[in-house]
Amino acid sequence: MPSWFSKVFKGKESPSAADPVDTIERKNPILDEDDDFEDEERPEKAKIRKVVEPVVLDDGTREDAEPAPADGIRIKAAVAEDMQSCKLMVDRAVFEGHSVYAHSPESAAECSPLAEALFALEGVSQVEVYNMNVTITRRYRSDDWEELAREAGSIVRGWLEEGKPVVTEQFLDNLPSPETISEKLQEVLEMEINPGIAAHSGEIALNRVEGNTVFIHMMGGCQGCAASDITLKVGIHQAFRDAVPQIGAILDETDHTAGTNPFYTSLPAGMQ
Amino acid sequence: MPKLSSFYVEVTTGEHGREDIPVFAINGFNLPFDDVDGDCHPGSTLKATGNPDSFPHALHLVGPAEGSWDIQQVKITYFPQGETPYSMVFGAATLDDESSLNIWKRRPAPAFDV
Repeated sequence: MPSWFSKVFKGKESPSAADPVDTIERKNPILDEDDDFEDEERPEKAKIRKVVEPVVLDDGTREDAEPAPADGIRIKAAVAEDMQSCKLMVDRAVFEGHSVYAHSPESAAECSPLAEALFALEGVSQVEVYNMNVTITRRYRSDDWEELAREAGSIVRGWLEEGKPVVTEQFLDNLPSPETISEKLQEVLEMEINPGIAAHSGEIALNRVEGNTVFIHMMGGCQGCAASDITLKVGIHQAFRDAVPQIGAILDETDHTAGTNPFYTSLPAGMQ
Repeated sequence: MPKLSSFYVEVTTGEHGREDIPVFAINGFNLPFDDVDGDCHPGSTLKATGNPDSFPHALHLVGPAEGSWDIQQVKITYFPQGETPYSMVFGAATLDDESSLNIWKRRPAPAFDV
């Protein structure tokens, strides 16, 4: 079965001694009208369509599920693809209504006793608490998360069992309203971020602010861009937190596989 | 991201079906399914294999050329090159001549109890 790649970028089979590389004639079935493709074999360039995001009913992880302890708190740990952070998924809300983020032991001490306790673990560089999830980030990538995740899970479990407060009263008292956060972040987007990424045909939109949790959407060249995660974490997060230090989680609601300009909607330049 | 050698889908149609067999789009190019069994009539299940053999930046199930198509459920098994297969189940969606369904999901992060 010929692959998609070989159908689109069609040439002869792999070169051999009898068929030196410099004699291979490369033909592009999309552009060459006189090629020898049967009509039904010619890959059709897809029409740009609205992409519907499906609801995932089962992603296979349930197979590993074990019954939760009768009266215990169940926590699952999932390591991120970049191996630098780990999300602890608790079977109940850890912190409802708002979210909290700390980037140092000092900032944790001001806003969240739970985050402060997690910073006592070796190597922790960031803590984020949002709804049922606690995400811890390490200073460096690691493929050995089990010990740290278990220690962090133990702290979170103990915290919930004892009913300790996740955030300080001072943190809650000083939270700006969602409207204020939204106004300030919109200004950051318009004055700093979007002019900067316009050169890459990108644009960031603020979808909404719930409590102090921020939901954004990446458009244009950012949507589907392989560097979008770095742009988000290094650029946008920092600019947002500089503008409003009290914001908690920043969530990207973009479908990076969809849209009108993700990756290869046409043949790359130079292949035409 | 590993290369996606192939994938196997079982698409169950809901109330509104379609007469033709759908195609899938890989990175902006439409390709036909192979090993097709069944159809997309109401209540029927289409079983088919896609062979993109490519890096799936975007993988979509393409909607009908006309009318609407009610998808009740999609079961999909991905066969990444050099890795073990993994499966997903997607819920209901309706496609028309202006839409397609995103059927690409990365392997979920391994999770363990702590």
